[in-house]
Amino acid sequence: MQRPSRAFALALVSLGLGFSLALAQKVEITWWHAMSGSRLKVVEAIVDEFNATHPNIQLNALYTGKYAETLTKYVAAFRTGNAPNLVQVYEVGTQTMLDSGAIIPVYEIPGMLGETWDWAQYVIPITNYYSTNGKLWSMPFNSSTAMLYYNKDLFKKAGLDPEKPPTTWKEVEEYGKKLVESGVVDHALSFGWPGWIFEQMFAYHNQLFADHENGRNGRAEKVLFNGPFGQMVLETWARLAKEKVFLYGGPEYSANTAFVSGQIAMLIQSTSSLAGIEKGASFEVGTTFLPRFEGYPRGNSVIGGGSLWVTKGQSKEELAAVWAFLKFLAKKEIAVKWHKGTGYFPTINAAVQELLNEGWFSKDQNYLTAFLQILSGRRDTPAATGVRLGPFVQIREIERAAIEKAVSGVLSPKAALDEAAQKANQLLKQYNELH
Amino acid sequence: MQDERFPGHPLLPYLLILPSVAVIVVFLIVPFAQSVWGSFFVTSPFGTKTIYVGLRNYLELFQSSDYLKSVIVTVYFSAFVVVIGLGASLAIALLLNQKIQGVGFYQIALIWTYALSPAVAGTIWALLFAPATGLVPYLVGRIIPGYTLNWMTNGSLALLVVSAAATWKMLGYNIVFFLAGLQNIPEELLDAARVDGAGPWLTFRHITFPLLSPTTTFLLFMNMLYAFFQVFGLIDIMTQGGPGDATNLLVYNLYRDAFIHLQSGRADAQSVIIFVIIAVAATFQLRAATKKAAYAR
Amino acid sequence: MTRKRTLTILTHAVLILLVAVLAFPVFYAIVTSTLSFREAYQYPPRLVPGTQFLENVREAWVRASFGRLFFNSVFISLVVSVVKIILSLLAAFAYTHFRFRGRGLLFGMSMITQMLPLPVRILPTYELMADFRWINTYWALTVPFFASTTGILLFRQFFLTVPRELSDAARVDGATPMRYFWQILVPISRTNIAALFVIEFVFMWSQYLWPLIVTTTKEMRVVQIGLKMLIASEQIAPEWNVIMAGTVIAMLPPLVVLLALRKSFAQGIAMQSEK
Repeated sequence: MQRPSRAFALALVSLGLGFSLALAQKVEITWWHAMSGSRLKVVEAIVDEFNATHPNIQLNALYTGKYAETLTKYVAAFRTGNAPNLVQVYEVGTQTMLDSGAIIPVYEIPGMLGETWDWAQYVIPITNYYSTNGKLWSMPFNSSTAMLYYNKDLFKKAGLDPEKPPTTWKEVEEYGKKLVESGVVDHALSFGWPGWIFEQMFAYHNQLFADHENGRNGRAEKVLFNGPFGQMVLETWARLAKEKVFLYGGPEYSANTAFVSGQIAMLIQSTSSLAGIEKGASFEVGTTFLPRFEGYPRGNSVIGGGSLWVTKGQSKEELAAVWAFLKFLAKKEIAVKWHKGTGYFPTINAAVQELLNEGWFSKDQNYLTAFLQILSGRRDTPAATGVRLGPFVQIREIERAAIEKAVSGVLSPKAALDEAAQKANQLLKQYNELH
Repeated sequence: MQDERFPGHPLLPYLLILPSVAVIVVFLIVPFAQSVWGSFFVTSPFGTKTIYVGLRNYLELFQSSDYLKSVIVTVYFSAFVVVIGLGASLAIALLLNQKIQGVGFYQIALIWTYALSPAVAGTIWALLFAPATGLVPYLVGRIIPGYTLNWMTNGSLALLVVSAAATWKMLGYNIVFFLAGLQNIPEELLDAARVDGAGPWLTFRHITFPLLSPTTTFLLFMNMLYAFFQVFGLIDIMTQGGPGDATNLLVYNLYRDAFIHLQSGRADAQSVIIFVIIAVAATFQLRAATKKAAYAR
Repeated sequence: MTRKRTLTILTHAVLILLVAVLAFPVFYAIVTSTLSFREAYQYPPRLVPGTQFLENVREAWVRASFGRLFFNSVFISLVVSVVKIILSLLAAFAYTHFRFRGRGLLFGMSMITQMLPLPVRILPTYELMADFRWINTYWALTVPFFASTTGILLFRQFFLTVPRELSDAARVDGATPMRYFWQILVPISRTNIAALFVIEFVFMWSQYLWPLIVTTTKEMRVVQIGLKMLIASEQIAPEWNVIMAGTVIAMLPPLVVLLALRKSFAQGIAMQSEK
């Protein structure tokens, strides 16, 4: 007996809602994102401004948990037919989204709405990462890369020049030994996100990480990371660990603690940690480009973070509203605000110019480091653009496990990488079977 | 056995159990059956394609060195929680079960860890052992100069720390039940043993311990359930299964495959495997419990 | 005599030591919750309380919406405990006071709950929530927990010890079964009810995995997940002072429940293990 009455009440409520909406003529759209903490505040400010300046649109931005949770929830919602209009997905989820059949590529949207759009206004190394055959599939939103942080005070104490950070792995080793031998620190260097840093090394030296042109020219079927270059990288890291220069720092951000508290002098970490590190450190923080391996070609550091995907099957009004928001994000002032509030890259060339003009970067050079790094790298090869893999989440975990095994001496670098490659290839095979 | 105490109400008992049974059927039995069904398929993350694969999900799990490692880690972890945890709590309960002053205070001061959640326990231990800055690494560094205790890089240490944290949290629960069990042992039996000249050890071995065995079996099972499932929060907060899968318990592996890797078939198969393990343990517990009951009667 | 005395003193010494060792981690957590960020990273670590407790609590409150999470946790723990107790009482009443077809089978089914913990049915249950549109609702956080093996067993065991004369007298007086249940059986079960309340409240308060997957908004999260959010929220060095302020708050309600009901709790457990 309860059912009909409840359904009736529901119908009434939705009728009422529909009425009021129709009266207000507001298009309501939903965006799920994974920005928490101080970033959430910036997101909320931007959304409020958007809603205030677009009286016909009501954008509801919802924090739906971490990246993995947001994607899981999006998948479930899509399968039951109540996906949000827009969703933020981390870079490792890119191939999954491309294969999902759930989305509209952003490059098609202006045409669908009878508009044109200047894609050249975006910062190229960033859009490249999310493009397939030169066309942008998702809108870059929060982009970062990795760089080297160092503790200038500790450098001075060890008798090193604080204005001359290491530029090659050879120098990292040399300086690291000096730091350790002088007794300033027990260990000199650590990383966050070891799997990602490993991938960075490939792109940074223009080496392919997987076949089919890094998975950018068809789905990857085999990883290439256990080749000579990968072995060389991991052998270097294992040697540094043996020499007590390198201290393995855990999967994500746990190494930051050691750096902030002065236990280590160098840290390779995402640029998105910059604001936090500067806030927590009681010493002068220096930053520089990722160290290079001498004798290998130049590539570029890879973009990490997340991008925005548009769900297919929405009404034209909704799509127009979503597009209005994506255009809003491309406004110079908004991109500047986003960068200043979070440390993520501004994705619009005009915003970069604006930041330069107002002297933002000269106030704190550290915000410029990573930017110069991606702008000075090459951007025309799949190897330098970064790898794209279907089961990327798992493969990155597999890489991490291999690195852990090699630096702790459980397995030789070659054996660890071969084992990891075999697991990764198996996953790729299963993924391709389903797509 | 139970008699009909209120004849003439044929429908009432069904109404009384209806809510419980409905919840069990809708949220437990049917979903479990779906887990079994789903374990024979693989599905793409967005459900665009589903393939029947028979037993392949199971075969892959058993052939995967990572999954076997997860089994071993779980066995180690559960054994630690059960053996160290039950041993320590029994010893403490024996100490508490004496006629000494302030016993009420001691009891409450020793059982309160029961009220902590695994996540809280994990957070506190993560603080204590925080690499580089925590209290324990500091103390260890003082005692052994030059040694850095870092459980985020040392797998076996991480496993030890999460095991210890989980055991610490469970002590209160175990002590409560052991104390209750000890207090139910008839005084006369213990007195008789003393009169016969049996020392404390003999009394414990031949009277206390056997009579405690229903409590012990019950606690064995509950601790196993705890070590298998409820510690999820502790692991998620402390290590997320790392470093290098060193603390990747079966339940954590399942969570990752289901909700992060989006491999539903593989996750369902793991659900079924875990069920089999629990069912075997439960049968043992039940058999031990009924055997004891028959013996007592 | 002196030997016995030495033994007593020794027992006290050991017990006090145990109490201290057991409590130390929590003591350290409380100290950390009163420090500033810099003090929390002081080297060597400090064991003397600071003055920042309220600031840290405020920070946790703002950063992880801890107030709302706290309310959610209290709310779902209360609802689930109460409903579970009522449903278990009803079911145990049926199983002990009536004969009916399928009783054995249905009772066996109730017992199976223990063998079907969440992880063995996690994906389908999650999909069920999605189908019901229960994600991010109190429904998802409460209803699937309503069945309790522990409760049914506990009350069944107790009801079996209730003398037949009691129900016979009630019947002769013309009381309906439900009147007998509410007016006689439930009141004499209060020790067991209190014990079960402690168990279920602590159990529900500790839930982590289920809330983690069925809630995603900050309005619907629970305290346990709030801890994780505090740890992971800033992606830099964890702010242990704020995290511990959250931890101290997250510890309190179940501790209060346990301390308030400790007598009944101990008695209830003792009754349970009597058999």
